[in-house]
Amino acid sequence: MRQFVQQLVNGTVLGATYGLIALGYTMVYGIIQLINFAHGEIFMVGAFGGLTVYRYWLPGSWAANAWVALPAVLIVAIAVAVAVALLMERLAYRPLRNAPRLAPLITAIGVSIFLQEAVRLFYPGGKRQQPFPQLISPGRFEVGGITVAWVSVFVVVVAVALMVGLQVFVKTTRTGKAMRATSQDPESARLMGIDIDRVIVVTFVIGAALAGVAGVMQGMRFAQIDFRIGFLAGLKAFTAAVLGGIGNIGGAVLGGFLLGIVEALATQYVPHGSSWKDVWAFVVLIVVLVLRPGGLLGEQVATRA
Amino acid sequence: MTGRGRLALVVGGAVALVVGSVSPWATFAGFPGKMSLGGFPGGARLFALLLAAAAVLGLVDIAGRRRALLAAGLGAVAVIGVNGVALVDQGGGVGGVAWGAWLALAGAGLLVAAARALPAEPAAELRPRVPAVAEVAALCAGLLILLGTVVWALRINESSRFVSFLVFVATVAVVAHHLGLFAWLSELSDRHRRTVVLASAAVAVAFPFTQQGNAYWIRVFASIGVFAVAAIGLNVVVGLAGLLDLGYVAFFGVGAYVGALLANASLTTVHVHVPFVLVIFLGGGIAAAFGLVIGAPTLRLRGDYLAIVTLGFGEIFRITANNWDGLTRGPNGISGVPDLHAAGVNFGEAHTVLGVSLPGFANYYFLELVLLAAAILVFTRLNDSRIGRAWVAIREDELAAAASGVDTIRLKLLAFAIGAFLAGCAGTVNAHVTTQVSPDSYTFLESILLVAAVVLGGMGTVPGALLGSAALFVLPEKLRSFQDKRLLLFGAALILLMRFRPEGLVPSRRRQRELREEAPEGLPGLAGATGAPPGSPVG
Repeated sequence: MRQFVQQLVNGTVLGATYGLIALGYTMVYGIIQLINFAHGEIFMVGAFGGLTVYRYWLPGSWAANAWVALPAVLIVAIAVAVAVALLMERLAYRPLRNAPRLAPLITAIGVSIFLQEAVRLFYPGGKRQQPFPQLISPGRFEVGGITVAWVSVFVVVVAVALMVGLQVFVKTTRTGKAMRATSQDPESARLMGIDIDRVIVVTFVIGAALAGVAGVMQGMRFAQIDFRIGFLAGLKAFTAAVLGGIGNIGGAVLGGFLLGIVEALATQYVPHGSSWKDVWAFVVLIVVLVLRPGGLLGEQVATRA
Repeated sequence: MTGRGRLALVVGGAVALVVGSVSPWATFAGFPGKMSLGGFPGGARLFALLLAAAAVLGLVDIAGRRRALLAAGLGAVAVIGVNGVALVDQGGGVGGVAWGAWLALAGAGLLVAAARALPAEPAAELRPRVPAVAEVAALCAGLLILLGTVVWALRINESSRFVSFLVFVATVAVVAHHLGLFAWLSELSDRHRRTVVLASAAVAVAFPFTQQGNAYWIRVFASIGVFAVAAIGLNVVVGLAGLLDLGYVAFFGVGAYVGALLANASLTTVHVHVPFVLVIFLGGGIAAAFGLVIGAPTLRLRGDYLAIVTLGFGEIFRITANNWDGLTRGPNGISGVPDLHAAGVNFGEAHTVLGVSLPGFANYYFLELVLLAAAILVFTRLNDSRIGRAWVAIREDELAAAASGVDTIRLKLLAFAIGAFLAGCAGTVNAHVTTQVSPDSYTFLESILLVAAVVLGGMGTVPGALLGSAALFVLPEKLRSFQDKRLLLFGAALILLMRFRPEGLVPSRRRQRELREEAPEGLPGLAGATGAPPGSPVG
């Protein structure tokens, strides 16, 4: 039982990252029906942005102070992720806005490969794993036999705060309202005077900012990053978005936590679980799409091409 | 601008380009192609000299000359630029570039200016009235030139010269395109279909005889053959039925494992030896069965979901192959796959045919040709059939297709199964060509390479799949110095291709109309002319 609860906790921490990335997928999909395959790479680029500021820009005494280093790393990670996402939207996706569906998806794959390779080739030491700083105390504490690292507490608290913040933003602000209107019916939204291009840009920016934060979290939890982390994390986050119902913000959060927990439990309880650990996301994805293509919280859309 | 001024530009440009091309381009010795010497041009200077011939276009009045001359001028600039960059790189600065290169650059610039001074004009319609014999001769000559160019190009060893060559070929292709040559040739090949097919087959068979017993490129081309069969299979799925499959390499992998396990490989886990003629169908059949199992539940999904689910299946295949030690020997894979023995031929042995010695790999090359021919036959017959039209209908609008009585689920399943079958067949042969099978040959990236081959060449066409596979295989072999940046360029190429030429290098006519929805309909002459900007069809 203690082990079960321990895995529940581990899964929740894992799921917090998946959920944050999944939000970017789900919002972009909700608005322009694009599976932004390169979103995982935005997450990776954000992590490298955070690493850069810590390693090269901060003077040593500041870097040692978590109260300075952590916000600096987070802000730069967000800035880098957002900048890359803006370029990507402007140069790669926007010209294809009215193209057949296959074209932007193939472009997204191209962007994904391009970003991975750019980091691998041009980041100093990018071909190898890079150590990521432990910005907050590496310690852990115990509650009723369950071990929890402080980093995990930080990850879950920040993720939940951001998710709630996003929900409030989308529900209450004018821009949020415009986003909801656009996702329901872009044509009518345009007729109501909503600047669709701006809404799309805002969507990409928010998704990228969340992915940037997730990148720093990933780095802090595993203490290292490399150019490949975006691919698998992106796929799992996409699975989380589909599981919750793509296009649905609450669904992405729920899907993220559920997927994290499923993965943690499967690794523990299935024989040889850890060598199959990356399979569970795909199994969940397929099962969900076959049984309930709309996801848990999504409405049942017609399966139209 | 007056006619006389234009004439001065053309003549001046041509003279400068010719003189510059036969003059030294490098101030230092040792650069490949004897760049520091004058006289008859070696290396890349030859390409610049040949492009100077296009200046004739500025003097004669034929349709399409403006765009063609512009392309030739820009192509010459690009050839000089590529070598200039290499010279600066190796000569330690701008001082490494000799006056010949600058003169040639100026000449090319004058030609561009001359082209811009020409009046705008409609696209060329080349329709020479020649007897049918001459038409067939033109087609055969075209194919022979193709073979000669390929054989010659494969002997180029330096990267800068090979890039110059690519730029040159692309320029010539664009010039020919603007003069209406390709439109004419494709019309001819429609009219003389049988001749073209036979002549292409003859050229393909002739290739190993041009290699003087050297196995290297025969081996590469045998691999291209395997890849091309799979690409044609994928083209059924992506190009015809419009289903993006991102895990397609798994079917190829299933075939390869079947081929390796049943061929008595030294590390096989299944000690049954089945004759290869059966294995190839077994591999295809098992892969097709996998295709049905995967397709049945997932083909109801809309297009982009399907893409991700197939990706998931591809990864599941790879992880399973990695972990199922009892059957696949995990990460080590099955190695020691023996050479094929089929129809009384030992495929590992060299043979001498007509006085030319063919290395062992030529056997695989010919086997690949047979397989490729079969795949092409399947593809074209399907494309021209009722099934092919139904697939296109599904691709265009699934709902409308279903409403018109097309059984969409069954037809999509069929496309999936046929694609998987072809990939499985190719996989069984590949197990023998590479002599080992291991999970890391079947990664997501390999699936993407296959998709890219299809998209780059042109979705839904056979020449497109062939060209795409050849380009993705030969270019990395030739551009060794770019090896590390291969994937970076590849990602950029995918983005640019979707942006500027989504229909691929060899577009299917149907597909081109569909992807260029904004182009006015009913103007077939213009549809081709809106195509590539100069230099864009570089693979």
